[in-house]
Amino acid sequence: MPYLAIDTSSAVAVAIVADDGATLCAASALEPRRHAELLAIMISDVLRDSGVARDELVGVVAGTGPAPFTGLRVGLVTAQTLGFALGVPVHGVSSLDALAAGAVRALALPTGVEVLATGDARRREVYWARYRVSETPGIELLAGPGVARAAALVANGMAAGAVVVGRGAAGYPAELPSAEGAPLDPDPADLVRLALSRLAAGEVLPTEPLYLRRPDVHGTPAQP
Amino acid sequence: MVRSARSGEGYRGPLLQTVDSSPVSADGSLVLGIETSCDETGVALVRGTELLVDAIASSVDEHARFGGIIPEIASRAHLEAMVPTLRRALAQADVDLAEVDAIAVTAGPGLVGSLTVGAAAAKALSVGLDIPLYGVNHVIGHAAVDELVHGEFPARVMALVVSGGHSSLLLVDDIVTGITELGQTLDDAAGEAFDKVGRLLGLPYPGGPHIDRLARGGNPEAIRFPRGLSRREDLERHRYDFSFSGLKTAVARWVEARQDAGEEIPLADVAASFAASVADVLTAKTIAACQRHEVDTLVIGGGFSANSQLRELAAERCAEAGITLRIPPIRFCTDNGAMIAALGAAALRRGVAPSDLGLPVDSSMPLTLVTR
Ligand SMILES: [Zn+2]
Repeated sequence: MPYLAIDTSSAVAVAIVADDGATLCAASALEPRRHAELLAIMISDVLRDSGVARDELVGVVAGTGPAPFTGLRVGLVTAQTLGFALGVPVHGVSSLDALAAGAVRALALPTGVEVLATGDARRREVYWARYRVSETPGIELLAGPGVARAAALVANGMAAGAVVVGRGAAGYPAELPSAEGAPLDPDPADLVRLALSRLAAGEVLPTEPLYLRRPDVHGTPAQP
Repeated sequence: MVRSARSGEGYRGPLLQTVDSSPVSADGSLVLGIETSCDETGVALVRGTELLVDAIASSVDEHARFGGIIPEIASRAHLEAMVPTLRRALAQADVDLAEVDAIAVTAGPGLVGSLTVGAAAAKALSVGLDIPLYGVNHVIGHAAVDELVHGEFPARVMALVVSGGHSSLLLVDDIVTGITELGQTLDDAAGEAFDKVGRLLGLPYPGGPHIDRLARGGNPEAIRFPRGLSRREDLERHRYDFSFSGLKTAVARWVEARQDAGEEIPLADVAASFAASVADVLTAKTIAACQRHEVDTLVIGGGFSANSQLRELAAERCAEAGITLRIPPIRFCTDNGAMIAALGAAALRRGVAPSDLGLPVDSSMPLTLVTR
């Protein structure tokens, strides 16, 4: 009962994941400007390499960000359309949730520890969300997601006492020193693991993008 | 969020002049076309040269208050509309996705963020259904769509594609393998010039339809505005190119001079005289190109072909020159999925190699590329 997982919040990352959470095949590329060119090829590749036929997929899980606009949309429209083409459900999970869950596993964090998961928001800001490690389902959201300057997260205490992880913080080591050995990007398999536990708890998992920023309506409008 | 919707099944529009309709192609391949180059999410199904359905969702109402298309708003709307529009198109045509033989999608030109959403969706369908993908040129799609309405093109046609984003004159020996770009605008597109002059005259966005309406009540000969790139020395270098920014400036100066003198602006006459200049240049150069290249069929496409003075003058001058004029109904002239499905189906019929999954979108895709 394999799932396809897609995350385009940072790298282009895809995986075929079994329903016990095991990764059958995965691929990722850190090319933030080439999401649109790489994603479909990588999906096609992991399907081939995993030996899973398209029609064996039972669902698609996509990271909903937060992330810069264009790359995030590539992941979400691909997930939605592929789910539609295959006739399987599509679920959305925050990419920062998956990053935090990955950090808990990678760093073997005990219950009660707090994690600040961050992503690169460009424009000198980071995406962030703060979590507490819990018994089940593993992470509990305390605050966020939001977008802010690294210094602002320090000033408002949001970074205090938390294990800091993610590519956002990696750009600001002075303000947000990262935990050693912490993951930089979400593992798409964590999207599936979180989705399965949330679905089991009866949650609905919409795929609305977490843009966190309003469209820039200044500058010259384009012509049709 | 307001959306408008329209659809049609196997629609055949009225002919401006009688043309010999070619029989529907023996190739009955079913092509699904996706268009997202600007603010319309278009999905259509074409079998051979027969249109089964043309579904569209538009974010135009969200842009009106900004006086132009806001790319990020358009891109967000494409993501929201994609699967619902696909679903609606298939349901209206009573077609199962599994019956589709190929996917066609706009690869450019257009807004990068908008193009990207459509291309990603098209690739997902190509992977999910294991069928070929054709990334096609939007501007050439504006000409190709006429084959759905008036039948396959004769051996050689001239195509004038005019809209808010493009003004191109194409010699078409084959809609997929034989496109020659004879001319294009050096600055503003025709529709863009209308929107700018509309703003100048204090009309709401988009200005085109408002100027058209005003112009119908005015005298097109009241003011002699310049004809862009029509002087002898310009014709040598830019025989079939267009330029509308000088015209726009001339209108602005004329209006300012009247305002400075405290006179009332005869809006209808200004609109009519301005529109007359645009229609005159477009049709004069196009007819000259038809005669020089011995082409007896002219196709006009793109949203600006709704303009009444352009339509009337083109009909009049084509009739004088013995040229058959083909203009699809307006809903096929504005951006839509049918034009993309039509061009994709034509590429498929000619055995053109499909695009690969790495297909990049190209905001300024040249007319030398029909598919990529
Ligand atoms: Zn167009």
